[in-house]
Amino acid sequence: MTPAYFEYQNAVKILCGQNALDRIPDELRQWGASRPMVLTDAVLMKLGLAELVVDLIRAEGCPPASIFTDIPVDSSLGVVNRVAAVFREHNCDSIIAVGGGSVIDSAKGVRLVLSQETDDILSLSGVENISAGRHVPFIVVPTTAGTGSECTGVAVIRNEAQGVKMEFLSPFVEPDAAVLDARMTLKLPARATASTGIDALCHAIEAASCLQKNPLSDAHATAAISLIFQNLLHVVQHPSDSAARLQMALAATLAGIAFSNSMVGGVHAIGHALGGVCHVPHADVMAILLPHVMHFNLPRARDSYASLLPHMIGMDAASSVPEEERAQAMVNAVSHLTEHLHRLAGLHLRLSDLGVKEEDMERVAETALNDGALIVNPVALDRERVLDLLHRAY
Amino acid sequence: MKRILQKLIVAAALRLVHAALVELCKLDPYVHAQFCSLPNGTSYSIYTGHGAPVLHVRWDGQKLLRLKEVRERATCELHLKSLADSFLMFTGQIGLAQGYARHAFSMQGEIADVMRLARLVNRAEAYLFPSFLSRRILPELPSLPVPSLRLYGHLIFGFLTRSYS
Repeated sequence: MTPAYFEYQNAVKILCGQNALDRIPDELRQWGASRPMVLTDAVLMKLGLAELVVDLIRAEGCPPASIFTDIPVDSSLGVVNRVAAVFREHNCDSIIAVGGGSVIDSAKGVRLVLSQETDDILSLSGVENISAGRHVPFIVVPTTAGTGSECTGVAVIRNEAQGVKMEFLSPFVEPDAAVLDARMTLKLPARATASTGIDALCHAIEAASCLQKNPLSDAHATAAISLIFQNLLHVVQHPSDSAARLQMALAATLAGIAFSNSMVGGVHAIGHALGGVCHVPHADVMAILLPHVMHFNLPRARDSYASLLPHMIGMDAASSVPEEERAQAMVNAVSHLTEHLHRLAGLHLRLSDLGVKEEDMERVAETALNDGALIVNPVALDRERVLDLLHRAY
Repeated sequence: MKRILQKLIVAAALRLVHAALVELCKLDPYVHAQFCSLPNGTSYSIYTGHGAPVLHVRWDGQKLLRLKEVRERATCELHLKSLADSFLMFTGQIGLAQGYARHAFSMQGEIADVMRLARLVNRAEAYLFPSFLSRRILPELPSLPVPSLRLYGHLIFGFLTRSYS
């Protein structure tokens, strides 16, 4: 059903497919930029992925004015402010983020600080509270197929002082361009391929079942779900299949566009809290929590879940399932997928596998209650229910 | 004329929400606990549209004070994007979650502070609105330890004795 009112925005240009990376210098030129700052992390430098991008833009006559490789796995407000200062010191005029969620969200934060001409990202926290500001050309090259952050209007950055992950929501957080090139995900290990793929699936499922869902976000979410179910297991088993890698990258982007326009829900609220309190990887947590939260949401999300089943198992197979059993069948399909990925690639299925401590659960539950994603979860979540879900996933 | 009427209703609703929260802080242990978890001096400003009523409140550790004017930015500012949105929200036609889903407000400050306020306002709405209305706008009806009539009694007494100024 179409909601009484909804909004949709996606202003990100998507460069997708063969040699997409080679188009970056031309994109920068179109924005009048010639001194990009490349943001990445040490692992990607070591793997040669960031170098690949740097070499390409250098060869096309657009050498980086600065390369920042110290973005940590769990980036923070302090890192964002520091990188913005480096950008100014080197007189850069644009940003190229090469990495996964942490690098991309840090780069979004840096872009916000620069465009709003401030020194502290914390002064910008809020929802749709900032104006366009100065335009700083911003290109994102995702190196995982999961986060979808290359196409979203939200940056999630850790507030180290408070031990929470903060969300910065604004259409001006969206990058100008996202570059999807299979070369960037070919070296992704099997387990990371699996967990980031489930992260993308989680984005799509929460986008299509939360209270803010709308027909346009649904269209992107269902396309993402189909691609993930068609390609994720295959790509884990055949990691060098470029075509399947690209399909997964596209799925992650589609899921990103979906949830950027309809929000997420309980999985992300609890996942952000676990990340903030216990410093566990986001994608791993999503993979663990997703089946549990879906099972919990089932009574209120029955119609949404049932409508997603054909996108997972195909129209013919879905129509053979009695209508009243489709929602449960959909939840089962997700559980089977995560279990299959556990066997194939060692995907974690329990929070205890990630080193989460039981004594942290209370703090995680309290933190989750203050996460913005909770407001649109189809079922109300209070402290006791969050704790129950955490124990079930433990 | 319609806009003037909407402004009057929204102004009355803002006063009622504030008064209800003041009373519930005394009557409902959940609301009391929520307020006690706020740092002293936490302040909220709710703007309901251009030239429309504004509510400034501050938690002083004991009571939620309504402020006539503010000299500095509140800890958390909610800006409803139009009077029409405010009218829908403050007359119980849409809840906070629907308001959020409709992008009906922008927010300055930490999202955690909005979530704290949302829990309190949802609770107040569960008391103030008849259950058929609350059921439509709240994700779930909470079990309330105090009957709504008792809250209304306190509110009438409070307004008569000008306790919420």
